[in-house]
Parts: sequence; C-alpha cells; structure tokens
Amino acid sequence: MKKKACLLAFLAMTALLLAGKVLVVQVLHAQLMAKPDFLSSNLATIQKGACLEIIEAKGSWFLVKNADGLKGYVHGSALAGRGISLSGIAPGKKGASEEELALAAKGFNEGNERKLRGSREYDFSAVDWVMAQAVANPDVGDFVREGKLK
Amino acid sequence: MKKLLQLLCLCQFLAAIKIPITLGQLNKAKKGVELVAGTTHTINEEEEYYIGRAVAANILSQYPLWKNQTLCRYLNLIGKALVLKSERPEIFAGYHFAVLDSREANAFSAPGGIIFISRGIIDMAGNEDEIAAILAHEIRHVVNKDPLKAIKSQRMKTLGTFAAGEAIGSGSEVLNIFKDSVLDISGTLLQKGYSRGQEKDADLQAMDLLAAAGYNPAALLTILEKCRGIEKKKTKAFSAHPAAAKRVAYVEEALGKAPAIDMSVRNARFSKSVSR
Repeated sequence: MKKKACLLAFLAMTALLLAGKVLVVQVLHAQLMAKPDFLSSNLATIQKGACLEIIEAKGSWFLVKNADGLKGYVHGSALAGRGISLSGIAPGKKGASEEELALAAKGFNEGNERKLRGSREYDFSAVDWVMAQAVANPDVGDFVREGKLK
Repeated sequence: MKKLLQLLCLCQFLAAIKIPITLGQLNKAKKGVELVAGTTHTINEEEEYYIGRAVAANILSQYPLWKNQTLCRYLNLIGKALVLKSERPEIFAGYHFAVLDSREANAFSAPGGIIFISRGIIDMAGNEDEIAAILAHEIRHVVNKDPLKAIKSQRMKTLGTFAAGEAIGSGSEVLNIFKDSVLDISGTLLQKGYSRGQEKDADLQAMDLLAAAGYNPAALLTILEKCRGIEKKKTKAFSAHPAAAKRVAYVEEALGKAPAIDMSVRNARFSKSVSR
C-alpha cells in the first residue's frame, strides 16, 4: 500500500515535470501583474517557494498561472528554474531539501546574522531602519508619470 | 517494480531535458546575472540577501545613517523607477536606498540591493537626474553581482566543500567564513574598489539604464565633472572608484544626442526633497 502511494506520488511528479513548465518563486514576494509591466495593475503577491505554471514567455516576463488558477505576468528575475527537487519525496528520504542543507552549511543565513547582532562591527538596527523605508509600486508609478519618466 | 522505477527515472531524465526550453527563456530574461562564486557554488538570492545585510550593517557601524525620511523616500522613488527598467528588478527583499551622514562624496552598494549614497553627493548634485545617475551606477553593480565577486574564491571553495558534504565545517568555522566574506566585500566597497573594467561597465550600463527610465544619461557626465572639480582640489571623491577624469573621458565618448526633457516637475520635487 505504502509502495503504491509512493508510486502514485512519483507518477504525479513525473507528469508535472514532463509538462516542463513549472518554475519556483525565489524572492520573498513576487508581484503578479496584469500586464508585463510593473506599473500595470497588481493582481496578487506571490510568496517565496510558490510553484507557478508557465504559460508563455514574453521578453523578460512570463505569463503564469498560480495554484489558485489566477493568471498574470511575473518578471523572470523573480523565478528560479530549479523546478521541484525529488530528493525530499523519493521513497525512504526525509528531512531538509538539498538547498536548505547547502544554505545551512554555507552560513549566509539568518542564524549567523543573529550571532553577529550586538557586535560593535555590525549595526543591524540601522539596516532594519533602511529596510523599513520601502516604497510601493503604485507610488513609483505616480512618481514616474509626474516626472515624465518612462 | 525495480524496472518500473528505472523507467520512471528515465522519464524524469527526459523531463529534465525538456525543462531547458523553459530555462533557456528564463536565462535569457536573467542574462548576465548568473554568478558562480569561485568554482564550486552558486550564491542564491537568499544567501545574497543575508550577506548583503551583514555588509550593510558593517558599513553602518562606520558611517552613520542620515535618518531624513523625506529624502530617503525621494531616493527610494528615484531608485525604484530605475530598478524597474533593469534586468534584475526582483531581488530577494527588494532594493533599498539610504543616505550616509558623511560629507565625503561617495556611494556604494551592498549585495542584495542595499544602496548607500553620501550626504556629500546630495550636496554636490544639482538636480534629480544627477542623483539618478549615481544610483544607476550602483544599481548596475548589484545587477552584475559585483559585490559578491569580491569574496575570495578560496573562501567559496571551502564553503562549497561543506555544502557538498565533502568536509564538515564547525559552526564557528562557518561563522568565521561568513564574517571574512563580509570583510572581503566591505574592504572592496570602502577601500580597494572594483576593477576598472567593472567600473567602466557599470558607468556605461548606467547610461543605458538612465535612458530607459527617461532620465538624461548626460547627468552622469555632469556629476562626474563635479567630482573631477573636487579631485583637482586634491580631495578624492568616490574613494574606491577610479579617478573621475578617466570616467569622464569614456562617458563623454559614449554619450549620444541629449534628449529634450521637461525638467520642471523634477526640479520642483528635487528642491522640495533635498534640503541643504
């Protein structure tokens, strides 16, 4: 029974990969836009790790469909071509993904940032202030139009 | 059962062959931004973000922030208007721009898109387009992943062996490599500087970025000429950059015909946002 379930999962994954059209969001929040333009309407914000079905490529943009069936454009810089690692779901394998292990091993991560916090050589509170000064795309759109930018 | 699994593996392999059709398109979209550090490992978006935060924190321990929210918002609007026209508009946590409270004329970008411009540059700039020119140059360094290239390749090779499981790094070893990588980058940004080729590429690509966003590419020339003026007084502007006179020469050569631009709104918002 267990073998059958694994086999079914394996088959489903194979079908998905055979479609060859799944990419993964690699940034914290990717914007799903109505047109291949950041200043068009924002349809949704897609979280890191979400799988998107690629419908077609348009220059640097991809027309995609998310898990809820919502279609829109995502810029290619927000996507990674890693597809889905089978290592985590293959029979008998459990635990962190290869990517998670690599990240942990390399140490360029939040855990090591925490170890540096409090040291005189690193002012993370100032970095947090900088990160909080973000501007939203609609405001950028107004700024572009008012200033006769493109 | 075993044969069936082998057949399935073959299917997976065939699927993997099919994926490059999509990957090819993806890579085209991301042309020029892939980086393999050293020869052993690729730094992904999340890793770039965390090392960038540490580099920024290190810089901010040496240069205080100018917490002027009006000016900071203005800089972020200019920066975002430029970023959206670049090949790498989406990065892990987005681009952020801030002002350092230093009269030195300087600017630098940490990995992951945290970009600093000094108060000295703000004082020197005569209009919005000149500020955009400085930001465009720094954005191009981020798009090109130049800060990451400052990490010594030996360090990345060592980390690569940990990541591949060929060697086991203790927590303190990995933390030390993280800290040393931060210092490699900070040292390049603050003192050593990038190669002349990297700087020239960033300047020429910045001109294209300015034009794509509707700014005047000649603004890079005018701000560099101001830096050249400072350097004639024996005060170095952009301490980790090549001499302004050299940059002026190739920027001038690359400039095309100046576009006709209505600057009235830009001039008004520049005056409102930049108080000296």
